[in-house]
Parts: sequence; C-alpha cells; structure tokens
Amino acid sequence: MSTPATVFWQKNPALAWREIDGETVIISPNDSVMHELNDTGSFLWKNIDGKKSAVELAELLLENYEVTPDIALSDTQALLEEMSSRKLLVTVPAIGGVSP
Amino acid sequence: MTATLSAGATPAMDRLISRTVEKHRPLSVHFDLTYRCNERCVHCYLDHDDHGELTTAECLKVLDDLARSGTLFLTFSGGEIFLRPDLYEILAAARRLHFDVSLKTNALLVTPERAARLCEFGVRRVQISVYSDVPAVHDAITKVPGSLERTLAAIPILLEYGLQVKLACPLMQENLMAYRGVMALAEKLGIPYILDLTITPMMDGTSGPLAHRASVPSLLPVLRDAALHACKPQPSAQASAAVNALPPTLGSAASSGMESPAYEDLPCSAGHNSCYISPYGDVFPCVQLPQAAGNLRREKFDDIWYHAPQLERLRAIRESQLPICSRCEIRSYCERCPGLALMEGGDLLGAYERACALAEEKARLAGVAVPVSALHGGRDTASIQTTPEAEFAFLAADSSSD
Repeated sequence: MSTPATVFWQKNPALAWREIDGETVIISPNDSVMHELNDTGSFLWKNIDGKKSAVELAELLLENYEVTPDIALSDTQALLEEMSSRKLLVTVPAIGGVSP
Repeated sequence: MTATLSAGATPAMDRLISRTVEKHRPLSVHFDLTYRCNERCVHCYLDHDDHGELTTAECLKVLDDLARSGTLFLTFSGGEIFLRPDLYEILAAARRLHFDVSLKTNALLVTPERAARLCEFGVRRVQISVYSDVPAVHDAITKVPGSLERTLAAIPILLEYGLQVKLACPLMQENLMAYRGVMALAEKLGIPYILDLTITPMMDGTSGPLAHRASVPSLLPVLRDAALHACKPQPSAQASAAVNALPPTLGSAASSGMESPAYEDLPCSAGHNSCYISPYGDVFPCVQLPQAAGNLRREKFDDIWYHAPQLERLRAIRESQLPICSRCEIRSYCERCPGLALMEGGDLLGAYERACALAEEKARLAGVAVPVSALHGGRDTASIQTTPEAEFAFLAADSSSD
C-alpha cells in the first residue's frame, strides 16, 4: 500500500450517500456515478471519520467480523485505495490539513 | 469476508430500486418548499397563496427524518424555491445529511451569488422550466414579460458553477409545436431536456389547467416526430445511474422513470420507494396523487410512511389486477398514471380517457392495425382506418376528455 500508515482517512465531503438496509450507496456529484458498498464495506465507511488510519480501521473490522488480522488489514487497505482512486476518500495528515 | 466497492450504471440503479421497492424504503422524495411563485403559468396546478408553510425548523426536522428513513434522492421544488428566505439554511442541512439534491426552479432569481451558494451546498442538478425558445410564447404561459430572457440568462451562470442543468418543457396548447425550438436550445447549450405531455388538474381536483391541455389529435405531429424517436433516452455511460432513475441523456425526449424491471407489475414508484411532501407537511404518494397519507406536523415520517392506510392500499395494487387495464391489448403503449386515473376517472384502479386515447395513437404509430384500448373495447371500431388522415378524423370525431 502506497499511503503512509500515519494518514487518516476521511470521506470526500462533496459526496451524497446513504446506508440503506446495511448497504451503502454513494453518489459522486461531478460525474453522477453511483457506487455501492457491501456490508463490510459499509461498516468501514461508517467508521471513516478523518480520525482513523487504515490500521485502526482494520482493527475495528477484526473486532466485528470473523476474519484473520492479515485479511482484515489487506481488505481494508484495498478498499481504501480503491475508494481513494475514485475520489470518494481523501487522506488527512495526522498533524492536520487535507491532502489531495 | 471481502469489503467490496462496485460502481455502475443501470444495473446498480436497478439493484437499488429493487431493494427499496421490496422493502418500501423512501429512496426518492419530492419536497415542495413553497407554493408561492413569481410566475403565474397558465397550466399550473398549485394554489400560490401561503396557507401556512412549514417553518425552517420544521423543514429541518423533516430532513432529519428522511435521512434516517433512507432517502437519498431529494428534489426541492415549488412554487419558486428561491422565494423561501431560508432556502440556503435548508440546503445546508441537506448537505450535512448527505442527500443527493436536485432543484426545480424557473431560474428568474438566479444570480452568480446564488449559483455559488447552490454549488457550495452540493446541489447536483437544477431543472428549469422552459416553454419555448420564443419569448412571446414562453412569456404568455408564465404571464411574466421578459421571463424567458431572464430564465435563459441563468443557465450559463449555473453551468459556470458546475451545476448540471436540465430543461423541462411541459407541452400544452399554447406551446405545442415549440418543442423543436426547446430541443435545439438544449442541444446548443449542451444540456439535457425533457418534454412532458402531462397537464394535470389542480391539486384540489378542479379542472382549470386541463383547458390548456393539448388534445390527442393535436399531439399526433409530436408523437410522429422522428426526431423524438431518434433520441429516446439511452442507457448511457455511468451517469445514468444516479439521477432518480431518469437518465440525464442529452436529447432525451421523455422518460417515465419506470424503466427499471423492479417496477414490473406496479403502477409506478409512488408509495413504494418515493413520495411527495407539500409545503404544509402533507405526505402524498406523489404530487400527482393528492391523497394525503398524513401530516408531518402531527406525525413522524416513518409512522406515516409505514402505517398510513392510504399507502398500504396503494402498495397492494398490481397492474395485472386492474379491472379494466389488465385486459387491455395495447397496455404496453400506455403511460397510465394512478393519480390521473383518480383525478380524471374517479378511480385509482380505473382506466381514463386521456391515457387510453394516447395509448391507441402510440400503438397505431407503432403499426398496430386496429388499436383499441380495453376502455373503448365495447365501441364500434369498424370505421377506423389506418391512414393518417383517417386517424385524425376519427380522433377528432371521438374526442377524449380534452
């Protein structure tokens, strides 16, 4: 994973989104694309608050789902990277400020 | 366990619609913030006097309730929404609650400053009513001299601030043949448009606006227009997924919004995964189905949405069980609206003249030799011919409710 472990993850504030029956739907406004998250993706999405790193999010996943630590971390990192590539997330340096 | 993220167009929207229809989640809500307006459109179905609009606090409470209930697509309309002095406060709350927000406006009051505020609050799309590209035609409908010029001046401003703009053109007697000009205007601006043949009675059921409705015979040139058939909405690209099930296709002629297979055997989305809220807090299945299910000043949204008998009855209706329409041989050409069936035919489950006459014409244009709706099935059809001249004469003689 290319993103340093010290960054926190934050939802792109421009997005529209809603969790409906455990699954999250996200609309990116500029291109009107709809994105869907499954149950575990929605769990991570709910916990992405600009104050947690990938490792911390993976730990939450580990506490709430039957999964090994390695898979929790790799799944979390993969999802964060994918969402970041789609501009659904931004990273926040631990000392403040939002990176592009 | 794998956390997944997927994106797509129609299949993603279809899944969302299926889920919300199945579980009756209010995915899409049309919320009129005011009925007051700075235009006086001849076909308008609203009483423009203020009979006690929801306060700012009440509007914000409604938004909280909707967000909790699962509403994602939220359309603010009116009346003219810019006449609400608290519009930005309401939009700011909608942004905080992560709604996907669209607005409907006549755009007369749009300025660069106001467009910037819309952008700031994450409004994604603005739909603007344009009745013609000819000022005299448009202004005669709105009854506001200079209104077309002001409305059109707003469009580049909104586009400059990154807002998606769509033109909506209701067609009536006064502007029936103006659609070509509106199409050209939209194409010149590079924005989508929608033509709408629906003119409804007033919300109190009185028929005043229907005097402006174009008769079915007069619609024949529109229905026959190859340009409209050539640019029907296409399931294009990713963008089509997110727009209240209405693809924002450039050149779209019309869309019922009911393309999703999730609506199969349902009359429409009203009460299943969409509803309408009036400026006074009344909750209706749809703006065209004015049977209030409850009022948000007295009841919580969820209590109305999940328990109102009016909505439960509506949800039980299946197209295949409609007493007349289920046996109609040209049903696939029909755009029957339950609300108009109630308002014009007096029966939510019934057939009504306008829909049947239009379906017959569409079927005829599609090549059905003797298209007769179930409503008209008992009539003598021996004299019906299929040449255009004869069609016109037949329809003129057998005039519908127009």
